[in-house]
Amino acid sequence: MPFGLIRDLAAEDAMPNTQQLIAEGVFRRMTSSIPEISSVAWSSVITGTNPGVHGIFGFTDLAPGTYRLVFPNFNSLKAPPFWEWKRSGRSVILNVPSTFPARPLNGVMVAGFVALDLERATYPPSLVPHLREMDYRVDVDAQTAHKSLPLFLQDLEHTLQARIKAYRYLWEREEWDTFVLVFTGTDRLAHFLWDAYEDPTHTYHTAFVNHLRRIDEVIGEIARRITSNDVLMMLSDHGFGKLEYDVYINFFLRQRGFLKLAKDPPRGPQDIADGALAFALDPGRIYFHLKERFPRGPLSRADREALLDELTAAFEELEIEGRKVVQRVYRREEIYTGPQAERGPDLVLLPHDGFNLRGSLKARKLHGKDVFTGKHTHADAFLLVWGEGARESTPDRPSVSDVVHVMEELRERRRG
Amino acid sequence: MKLHNAQKTCWNCPAIDLAGKVDFRACGQSVEAFERGPDQEGDVYVMAECKRRPELGLFDPMGITFEECPEWVETPFGYMLKDMRVMILGIDGYLGWTLALWLGALGFQVSGVDNYSRRDWVMERGSHTVVPIARMTERLQAAREVLGININFRRMDILDRSRLREFIEEVKPEAIVHYAECPSAPYSMIDADHAIEVQRNNVLGTLGLLFIMRDTVPETSLLKLGTMGEYGTPLTGRPIFEGMFPADAVLRWRGREWSLGGELTPRDPVSFYHVSKVQDTFNVYEACKYWWLRSYDIMQGVIYGVHTEQVAADPRLRTRLDIDEWFGTVVNRFVAQAVVGIPLTIYGAGEQIRGFISLQDAMQCMTRLICSPPEPGEYGVVNQMSGYYSIRELAETVARVGRKEFNLPVKIQRVENPRVEADRHPFEPIFERLPNDFGFEPQVSLEEEIYRMFELLTQPEIKARIEQKKHLIIPRTWWSGMKKQVETLELWEE
Ligand SMILES: NC(=O)c1ccc[n+]([C@@H]2O[C@H](COP(=O)([O-])OP(=O)(O)OC[C@H]3O[C@@H](n4cnc5c(N)ncnc54)[C@H](O)[C@@H]3O)[C@@H](O)[C@H]2O)c1
Repeated sequence: MPFGLIRDLAAEDAMPNTQQLIAEGVFRRMTSSIPEISSVAWSSVITGTNPGVHGIFGFTDLAPGTYRLVFPNFNSLKAPPFWEWKRSGRSVILNVPSTFPARPLNGVMVAGFVALDLERATYPPSLVPHLREMDYRVDVDAQTAHKSLPLFLQDLEHTLQARIKAYRYLWEREEWDTFVLVFTGTDRLAHFLWDAYEDPTHTYHTAFVNHLRRIDEVIGEIARRITSNDVLMMLSDHGFGKLEYDVYINFFLRQRGFLKLAKDPPRGPQDIADGALAFALDPGRIYFHLKERFPRGPLSRADREALLDELTAAFEELEIEGRKVVQRVYRREEIYTGPQAERGPDLVLLPHDGFNLRGSLKARKLHGKDVFTGKHTHADAFLLVWGEGARESTPDRPSVSDVVHVMEELRERRRG
Repeated sequence: MKLHNAQKTCWNCPAIDLAGKVDFRACGQSVEAFERGPDQEGDVYVMAECKRRPELGLFDPMGITFEECPEWVETPFGYMLKDMRVMILGIDGYLGWTLALWLGALGFQVSGVDNYSRRDWVMERGSHTVVPIARMTERLQAAREVLGININFRRMDILDRSRLREFIEEVKPEAIVHYAECPSAPYSMIDADHAIEVQRNNVLGTLGLLFIMRDTVPETSLLKLGTMGEYGTPLTGRPIFEGMFPADAVLRWRGREWSLGGELTPRDPVSFYHVSKVQDTFNVYEACKYWWLRSYDIMQGVIYGVHTEQVAADPRLRTRLDIDEWFGTVVNRFVAQAVVGIPLTIYGAGEQIRGFISLQDAMQCMTRLICSPPEPGEYGVVNQMSGYYSIRELAETVARVGRKEFNLPVKIQRVENPRVEADRHPFEPIFERLPNDFGFEPQVSLEEEIYRMFELLTQPEIKARIEQKKHLIIPRTWWSGMKKQVETLELWEE
């Protein structure tokens, strides 16, 4: 959720409990990860590191030395999440994205999406029957929204209620030092109905706001349950904004001759042709087809610098209907540091407002528009810290990888 | 040269768990399992996990080819999934037993079920297999002793769904070969009881199996036996396609035109047995559509022969061979008739043309199909035959080999045709998929296999067993319902 939405709904009384926390705590705009997607951002949140350390660069990646598309999960995370740090105490971790499959910890966890089944999402396993009893679900069914918005909203509500039941159950039964509760329905809602949020006359405007109202009620409940010595942190892993154009980066690369495919339509990255120089993975990650990296790559290290310049220039010039698409072209070296950095994309594109970058290889057009009306944004996630010492410990312009460090500092302060 | 299945991927592999479908556009996962696979736009991904190589994590199932995967090893029949578990329903039968040994010798883990109904049906007709076969326990023991093959057998009726389900859950087969049906057209034409029994056994057995597979092993491929007889012999002479019309087939009517591509071709079964196979075809087709099961419906030509290396390895390993009017197939019957001096019985004009394949070549085809599973939801049809001949040509070939190589005075007779069928008709079967897509090359010629059959059937013990059942060779079962021995219309000495 974006900083602005929380600020506005809190001010308008839709989120009174949040409003109170804002008044008493520190409320900051936060930058997301690059790229600004949940698997990367949440991996940064829980490890306090950048992708160069934690190794998660997107929802998809290529297995090293191959064109095999893989879906990194918790086992692929190369840095320990804070609950595995020394002196972290006992934790309850509920619905953090990209923590599937769950593994043993001092505490309890139920992984968030993408989680293939509840059994492997849950630790300890004895919790599973209780979750089933609550009709707990990891996620709403993303396909429902394509068929019927009313059904989707029902599903969203149902999933939220079950999540609330699970949080209460764990809050009341577990001993803990850290309790993490993530609501992921807001993201789905915003993807499909961002237009409803922006337009007060929209059929689903009230439904949109009501969903946040109910989350605010939970926030109020939690605020009442904690003591003055506790710390309460609220955050989003990225912002949201209006989606005007989907832009197909691989189509652009093909148009400009950087990308060639061996088969059309391609099955996937395995059909990238020998002569291809670069290709994109979702959302705007550009990989150079380097000899040292890919079995059929034509490029040597020495070619890389020139291609960096050439592609940067090409993307900076890219316009759709008179509007520039790319706000900034990041080079890997600028944004990723650490032992995993070399595995990252060579370039990452940060789009201007309104443009949603897509990495599909099958695209047959430069841009289009899907059913989705909202897209993630990089610069306006939020962080709210409440509790003694919050002001001193929270940076002015925090980023997602600062969150656990703030938390640790506040914990340290309390240890005395 | 690349093996036929080198480019197939995990998408086709039974060792894969298709974990779910993810739409990262809305960061969402779906409870819908996987459906059609990755969509056309490339936005929705299917995630797979390998049951054999969990260290691969979650990946795109199109990303690894059989050629690249160490679990798929090279064999003469294509890449084969190491220790692949194959369950044969009807493992005690003519083809089932032969396939069990054949696959076992190649290193497949073979399991199977049978309720011996074929033995019962043959006994009921007062006949017997002329090549003596051992009891199942003895067969299994011999397979172990002689070939070192362990077969996990369980006696059961496949209509007993709870037991079948239990066994499938226990074994978790990666392919199921379904032979367990009553294979006889004349048997299904005896009377109402027999017609009903054949249809009940075949249709309901298959239907129940489909439900069990949906619930327990949806990623397992089903190799279901149909027959070329499902199609009949269209008098227009239009080609007999492989189950579905090809993409460029059109229907023209009153000045308008439609593509027929991908539609099931008409079926025109030739007996109540064949009707059961057509009903199976629709049931399997629907199950693939509703539940994303994957199946090859194998329109098999008439099988002839007695030989594979494994069944010939020991008398206790022999597969059955029937020659009576109900369970004997034409070439097998002709050779037996030649051995005991009955003029070979051609029905009617003898110009009926059928597709044929030798026992050993059929085994080769099955292995290739097992090694190259269909994709989820795929209902694939192959016409499994290596050539086609008129009945008269077959009789002449058998007569020639018998006279020349075995010094037998073989005669041929035309008899009344007890069946309702065209005895002169055009015939243009298409049988291209097995050679083109699965690398099938016939290894056994008709003459060669007939020669081997004579060798076996002229052995005194077997010849004596043919003599004992000689009276069951000339047909008495008319499609009309009449019960009377057919009359000879003409006799050819040489
Ligand atoms: N032999 C041919 O020429 C030929 C040609 C085309 C198709 N087919 C088909 O191939 C398959 C195998 O043919 P075959 O010649 O080996 O026949 P078969 O009768 O020798 O084999 C079938 C086996 O299945 C068993 N069986 C039948 N119903 C069963 C049930 N309900 N439960 C458990 N076991 C059961 C029988 O006991 C038998 O052992 C059949 O489906 C047949 O229709 C055969």
